Amino acid sequence: MDKGNPRELWEYVLTQVELSVSPANFNTWFRNSFIVKIGEDGVLYVGVPSQFFKDWYLKKFHTLLLKIVRGISYEFRNIEYLIVKDERRKAQNEVKHIRSALELPLDEFYINKSDNLNPRYTFDTFVIGSFNNLAYVAAQAVLSRPGITYNPLFIYGDTGRGKTHLIQAIGNQFKKQYQGRKVFYLTSEKFTIDYTDSVQAGTANRFKDKYRQYDLLIMDDVQFLSKKTKTEEELFHLFNTLHDTNKQIIFSSDRAPVSIPDIAERLKGRLASGMTIDIGEPDIESRMAIVRKKAASHDLIFPDEIVEYVAAAMSGSIRELEGMVNTIICHAQVKGCIPNITEVRQSLRSFTRPQKNISVKSVVDKVASFYGIDEESIYEKTRRREVVRPRQIIMYILREDFNISYPTIGTKLGGRDHTTVIHSCEKIKREIIVDNELASEIQNIRTLLV
Amino acid sequence: MIISIDKKIFSEAVYIVTRFTERKNTTLPVLSSILIIAGDDGIKMRATNLEIGIDLKIEGECIVKGVVAIPAIILQQIATSLTYEGKINLEHIGDTISLISGTGKSLIKTIPYDDFPSIPFPENPKNRIILPGIILKNIFTSITSCASTSTIRPELASIYITIEGGILTATATDSFRLAEKKIPLSNKGTQGKFLIPAKNALDIAQALPDEDIIMSFDEHQCAFVSTGCMLVSRLTNAVYPDYRQIIPKESIVEAIVLRKDFENALKRTAIFSDSFQKVRINFDPKKKIFSFFARNIDIGESSETLSANISGSALDLSFNHRYLSAVLALTGAESLSLLAAGIGRPLIIKGVGDTSLLYLVSPMNQ
Repeated sequence: MDKGNPRELWEYVLTQVELSVSPANFNTWFRNSFIVKIGEDGVLYVGVPSQFFKDWYLKKFHTLLLKIVRGISYEFRNIEYLIVKDERRKAQNEVKHIRSALELPLDEFYINKSDNLNPRYTFDTFVIGSFNNLAYVAAQAVLSRPGITYNPLFIYGDTGRGKTHLIQAIGNQFKKQYQGRKVFYLTSEKFTIDYTDSVQAGTANRFKDKYRQYDLLIMDDVQFLSKKTKTEEELFHLFNTLHDTNKQIIFSSDRAPVSIPDIAERLKGRLASGMTIDIGEPDIESRMAIVRKKAASHDLIFPDEIVEYVAAAMSGSIRELEGMVNTIICHAQVKGCIPNITEVRQSLRSFTRPQKNISVKSVVDKVASFYGIDEESIYEKTRRREVVRPRQIIMYILREDFNISYPTIGTKLGGRDHTTVIHSCEKIKREIIVDNELASEIQNIRTLLV
Repeated sequence: MIISIDKKIFSEAVYIVTRFTERKNTTLPVLSSILIIAGDDGIKMRATNLEIGIDLKIEGECIVKGVVAIPAIILQQIATSLTYEGKINLEHIGDTISLISGTGKSLIKTIPYDDFPSIPFPENPKNRIILPGIILKNIFTSITSCASTSTIRPELASIYITIEGGILTATATDSFRLAEKKIPLSNKGTQGKFLIPAKNALDIAQALPDEDIIMSFDEHQCAFVSTGCMLVSRLTNAVYPDYRQIIPKESIVEAIVLRKDFENALKRTAIFSDSFQKVRINFDPKKKIFSFFARNIDIGESSETLSANISGSALDLSFNHRYLSAVLALTGAESLSLLAAGIGRPLIIKGVGDTSLLYLVSPMNQ
């Protein structure tokens, strides 16, 4: 909201007033009013239709309005009410109707050339929940003592968890806090291309110098460096230089440094040498907060049921969650009002993933072949260790990923009791927390099943 | 609250006050209700629709003080059905009010009155004049029909009142015709002008008492105060067109006709007017004849001649017959004087001996 713009200011005031007075009162008293002008001495001039309104405003709403505008800024000293001409009021109303169609602000697409940062990503728009609290705290620590506290800062998490948002927000904040220092944001792919180009053009030295001048280097998606040996080596040297001169480095990746395949061990070790933080899956409350915040950034307030529905419908990726919110916002803009829950359900149908349907047999097939055992043996009543483990994993996957009932799993896997199945699932669930190898095995099996 | 009022007074008061409530389906239910206040200074009824407001003092016995808001429509229906002489008793219990009249008793649900707006009566108005209510009433009721009914131009949907040199001038126009009435005032000091919405003027006229009232006004509202009644209206905040420019200064022909002749002839001719309601008039100074003529392709045609005192040159003009007949409601004079300034220029109608009225009507294309 621009507090210098009378229209925006008044709309904000109205949203606040609406919360504190009854709808009947609101419609009667506030429908035809607007801010005429904002005086230089901090006096707001509110235009009202007649003396009736003026008196009633003074009597009933003056303190409320004053409280609201003081809440916006202490610049506003007082409110005065003017009875405005009939024609003028009409014209204002029409203008309002035209402006109600929202327009996309251009700065959403704006990227600063010198540091590659998108100014849209800031901490103001960043929703902090239990899933990313640690990462946020670490980011703040980095900002308070860059290059010293956690260097490098390595943030990883699945796609759409807000890694890019967080690291770009650090960059933007750094720029604000330490004016004169240089920030640069790039993706590992850009780094690779830059490097290959410079080698091709024979300007490798200039390339080195270019990256060594920055006080804060942010590199997104480092997992894509795998198998690019020369680029890795270049990054290794760059890392050493920056690290030695206490320049802050921030990396992001979709997996932990140790799990990035085909990357030089010495680089792996360096990536993990500072602070490594995982951004987990956002919980339902955080997702709801994200939905609300996103909607609020478009000056819309969704009803609770829609917020809950959207937050519940999309579990993993915040990016897709934002896509859903954008869809609803678009609907709201086209229609001029916020759609109800049924309409939301309709329009979000494309986002909901089709129910995964898979036969027990194919799971057994895949798991058996993954462990190199005969699939027949899974159904048999053998208790050999190499069979028992895969069988338990099959049960776990069938239960966790496909929601098949315990008795059904039991029957399908050679007529076992459902308690056996429950025990197996619980066992894997427990072990998966402590046994990283098992966890990664299951992860790999899951990728096979998709 | 417990009050006892004479039935006749009660009915009349409700009838007057109901006009000041919001009649459309309103957002605020308290606006379509009547507020009855029983307090130290007697019993009062209040109503407002945020355009106009009334505070009416009524005679009655106040046994227990209190305030209550009752839906106006219900109250009005009850009031019109009251026939017996005697008193009506109102008793407020919880959120209902009981009306006991003679043998009948009704319980009405009341409306919370917290939201009832305060009616902005001017405290120290600069401009105030005293005039008999009946005069203002007549002006408002007669002249309002000439104001525009459309809200596109709020100034034309209003009555323009100017007070200058001890004369009050009220003007209304819808841009096709214009009516101007002048009345002398007893106190000559006050000057000023304001625009009162015609709709409000009509409602106020119904409630004005016949005795002397104090009319006061400021920039945004006007008030009419008598001993038992206070009325306020919002004013139109716009600039009234400078209508004096269109009043022709000189005329080329003048006809003086008897009101009765004019009325009857116009009535008959109007039957034959076309879809544009066009009636042609003719001034014939040689034969001393004033004539009407109308032709409708589907019905036929008709002409009427009436003897008149005509001075000037011959002239033909066409008018919408409704605008011609409207003048009859504005003046009670026995004879009418019609002044024409030429083809395509407006016609002025005055009552002979009635200097208060000026009626101006634009001609239709020939």
